[in-house]
Parts: sequence; structure tokens; C-alpha cells
Amino acid sequence: MILVKFYVRLLYEVELKRKIFVYYIAFKMLVGDRGRYIGIIIGISFAALIMTQQPSIFLGILTRTYSFITDISLPDIWVMDPKVQYIDDSNPLPDTQLYRVAGVDGVEWAKPLYKGTIQARLPNGAFQTCNLIGIDDATLIGGPAEMVEGKVENLRRNDSVIVNLEGAQTKLAGTPKYPGGPSNPLKIGDILELNDHYAINVGIAITTRTFQSQPILFTTYSRAMQFVPPQRNILTFILVKAKPGVNHQDLTKRIHERTKLMAYTRGEFINRTVNYYLKNTALPINFGASVLLGFLVGAVIAGQTFHNFTMENLRYFGVLKAMGASQKALVSMILSQAALVGGIGYGLGLGATALFAWAINDSVLAFRFTWELFLFSIFGVMIICAFAAFLSIRKVFKLEAAVVFQS
Amino acid sequence: MTKPNYAVQCQEIKKNYGVGENQVQALRGVNLNIIEGELIILAGPSGCGKTTLISIIAGILDQTAGDCIVYNENASYMTEHDRLVFRSHNIGFVFQQFNLLPTLSASENVAIPLIINGVSLNEAFERSSVLLKKMGLEGKQHSLPKQLSGGQQQRVAIARAIIHDPKLIVCDEPTSSLDGETGRKVMETMKSLAATNSRTIIVVTHDARIFGFADRIAQMEDGRILNVMSSQEAKPHEF
Repeated sequence: MILVKFYVRLLYEVELKRKIFVYYIAFKMLVGDRGRYIGIIIGISFAALIMTQQPSIFLGILTRTYSFITDISLPDIWVMDPKVQYIDDSNPLPDTQLYRVAGVDGVEWAKPLYKGTIQARLPNGAFQTCNLIGIDDATLIGGPAEMVEGKVENLRRNDSVIVNLEGAQTKLAGTPKYPGGPSNPLKIGDILELNDHYAINVGIAITTRTFQSQPILFTTYSRAMQFVPPQRNILTFILVKAKPGVNHQDLTKRIHERTKLMAYTRGEFINRTVNYYLKNTALPINFGASVLLGFLVGAVIAGQTFHNFTMENLRYFGVLKAMGASQKALVSMILSQAALVGGIGYGLGLGATALFAWAINDSVLAFRFTWELFLFSIFGVMIICAFAAFLSIRKVFKLEAAVVFQS
Repeated sequence: MTKPNYAVQCQEIKKNYGVGENQVQALRGVNLNIIEGELIILAGPSGCGKTTLISIIAGILDQTAGDCIVYNENASYMTEHDRLVFRSHNIGFVFQQFNLLPTLSASENVAIPLIINGVSLNEAFERSSVLLKKMGLEGKQHSLPKQLSGGQQQRVAIARAIIHDPKLIVCDEPTSSLDGETGRKVMETMKSLAATNSRTIIVVTHDARIFGFADRIAQMEDGRILNVMSSQEAKPHEF
């Protein structure tokens, strides 16, 4: 028994060492042809860069479309007119709906939220379209989660608004004190004119950048009614908190049955918003085309160069075959070469994407890299490598060892 | 009189390439017996079928008809795997263009047949270094093929062909890329290899200068063997 084990162990070690040498030969063949080696890696790196960078920007933009929903974390359920398709859509409800929703069994509280746009007149006379958010006067639910300066409670002062940091520093910033000088950000105490109404800035808030990148002004719901032009209804959303232990899905159904309004959990509303942008904008086509192009160009460069490399080395594969190397060993060599260039190429491409992400960190560009994207891009690079290897393996399979005698 | 031990027995070997009107008959019924330990030269004009014949003998090409028995084994009845194993143990190759893997060192190139046969890496490299020293290539173990002269490369190729101690070595134009003096040295090495361990060596060549090293010379023409003669009987101008 011990002898059998020893023999199996010996066979295993011999086989392992043989495989290691096969991979060693494959490695040296590959890196020895430096021009092609670099060419293949450039092709794969390029494809990996495009396949990670472009979808990351796409995901970043998609994330911005629903950032307002994620910024408001307290409510479990968003209630709205059935015709509303996404977060920036508006079909106001009568205020009475708020009380109907609040009366539904399982609702802990229901608060009003106004979301619309308004023209702000800046001190220099210019106009800027802003998002105006009107939050519940009593509880201030729906207000900014993080303040840089001031407090959310400052909204209880007369004519007050809170401005988001990005808006204050860019689109609502005043004219520089001298030409070419630093911008003059909107500060606490500065005055804005909203639809001929006086408004005073009482705080600077941090918000996640939105799809439209307009400045965001927070105020109370009742004051929002004064700022916006007179209209029959201004209640855009009803924010609902479920009682502890109440199933959110069941509650959305109950709200719909009782009020005929649409109620969505936060996740459902995010999906609805994302789906709207996917179906009704050219975003997926534009970014999809870039990704596809990157994939194809990468596949063609890597496939062609890898194929040329194999053709160049076909004679040596023939030599190994003549000496007794099996088809399996030769295929292992090609696969290991493809895996090596794939791994290095992917690493470089991903590194370039990370560098890009670092470079744009403080800019307005959207960027979001997720583990799903990591898997997607690895899968894409694997397909490119498999395609390149397939072209080469086909040649080696068809290779007659007698090729070694051709001069 | 005792029957000689044959290393190779070719009986009515035929080989056709292509089909229909494009069919070419490379071998038209070759009969050739090669005795163990013999150094035999296959000579003849280009396209006469020399390379096709050694490819069939080496088991890397299938004949269309006939039998080729090498050391009592008929490759036609072997599985692909058995044929690979047979080749890896019994046959060594020397090529016209040397066919050394350009990115491997001399020592690594020589070790390849041992590794294919399952010898451990350490032992393979040790044996290849010893053999390279014997071949007069001491200090060149780590050189890449491009760093060696033509003669040195061919000696590395010969070392690779014999390191696993094969019974049969097939050589395709081993001296055609070498100058006369180097070619002569290479053939001297071949001759001494044939003398040790009763190794059989088949050399395909145009090079009449090396005919003197052969025990016999088989003259081929148009897919057939016209004549088999001793090296003394051969008249180089007739080839």
C-alpha cells in the first residue's frame, strides 16, 4: 500500500513538474517575442479600459438619476400620482391626499414633499434654474442629511432656503471681485430672488450630485407654495414611514387600494427611475456602443496579434509535437499564454480605469465601479482571450508534426 | 549466416498528397531495410520523397499504403497517444534549420525531450549541462540560440536529439546550413554516436561531401529507391 502511494505521489510530482515546464516554455516563448507580447497586452488593456471605464461612467450617471431618492433616507415608501414615471417627473396631488395616505392602516407617518424647478435671480442679475425642494414644515423630514454650514432648523426662519454646496460654489456663485479672480461662492446670509420673492440663504448642505446637476434649494413646504407660481396643487410626493413590523410591499398595495395613488418602496422607485432613463434616453445606446467598440477593437487587436504569434511559432509547436508533446500539452501552452496576457492586460486596463477614477475624483464627471462591473469586465476579457486562443488552438490542432522538416 | 537486426523495415511504402487530379505521388512503393547501429544517408534530388520517407519512419506522417516497422513496432497500428510515447522514447530529431526554441537557453532546449518523458527538472538540466560539455559547449549552457554560431547551434540540436538516448535519430539536411569544416565535425559527431549504443542514424542530404561518413547510401528518385550502395561505391556526381 505504501509503495502504491509512493508511486502515485511520484507520478503526480513528475506530471506536475512536466506541466510546470510546459508552462515555462509557453511563458518564455511569449515574452521572448517582445513586440507581439506588448501588442497583445496593449489590445487587451485597451479593451479592459473601455469595458470598465465607460460602464463606470454610465453607472455613475445612472446613480445620479436616483440620488435624490437615496439622499432622503427616512421614508420607507414614496407615494405619487400614478402617471409619475421617475423622480424628476411631476404630477402634483391635492393636499387632501396626504391625509388619506396617513390614514391607511400600517402608516406611522406621512409627510408632504414638493419637488420642482424654479428660476433664481442672482445678485449679478443672471438667472439660474434650480431644483426647489419643499419639506414638511413641522418635522423637516426630507431635508438634507449633512450640513456644511448652518442647521436644517434654520429653515424655520422667515424666507429661508438652504443651498447645496456644489450649487453655492458654482452656478449660484457671484461674480469674481476682479476679472480672473476666484469665484465668489454663495454664503450664509446672501440673498436670492426666487420668482420675485426674497429668499435668504441660511445653510449650506451636502447632497449627492443629481443627473441635471442644477443647484438644489431646500425650503419648507408652505414657503415653497409661496415661491412657485400659483397652481392648483403642488404636492409632488408623499413620504411614508411604515409602522414597525409592517411589510413594506403589503403597505404599498394597501395605499394603492385605498387611495388609487402609486406607492413604491425606495428600491422600487429607484428601479422605476433607472428604467425610465434606460428606456427613454440614448444613454444605454451611447455607452453600449462605446463598450462594444472597445470590446471589438480589443478582440481584433489581441486576436490577430496572438494568432500571428502562434503562426510565427507554429514550427516550434511542431518540434514539440514531433518530440512527443501531446495535443493537450500544446493546448495548455496556448491557454496559459492567453491567460497570462489576459491577466496582465486586464490588470493594466483596470489600473488605467482606477487612475482615471482618481483623476476625476473632484470633478463633475460621474463614475461608479461595482463588483458586478468587475465581473462583467473580467468576463469580457476572458471572451477576448478565449477567442484569441481559439484561433491559435485551431491552427495547432491541424498542425502536422511533419511541418518540422519543411525548410 | 545470422539474420541482421533491423531497426527499420519499409515494405512497399506509398504516400499520396492531395486528391483527384491534384493528387501527387510522393512515394511510389519504397522498400528499405536499415540495420541497427547503421548510419544511412538518403540522397537524391529535391522532391524525390526523402523527407516524406523519414517523416513516415519517424512516425510523424502516415503512409497511404505499405508497412513501416521501426524496432518491431508498426506505427500504423498504434493509437495517437502510443505513437507520441514511442516517438518521445525512441526517436531523436535533427533539423536543417536546427529548430531550437529561440527564447530558451541551450540547456533548456536540450532538456525538452527529457521533460516530455517525465524526468524531473533538476535531473533534466543536470544531464543537459553534462551533455553540452561533452559536445564541446561548456559555458554555453545559458546562451540563447541567437548567441551561438551555426555549428554550435547544430551541436545543441544534436544534443537535444540524443539526450533521451533514442534508438533512432533522423536528420534532415544537418550540414546544409554549415560551412564545410563545421559540417564535417558535425558528421564526425554523428558517426561516433552511431558507433555507441548501436544507435541507428538516418541522414537526408544533398551534401555529397558527407557521403564518406555513411555506412550505406540510398539513392532516391521520383518516390522510389533506385539503389542502395556503400559509401565507397557512391559517386557524388551521380546524385
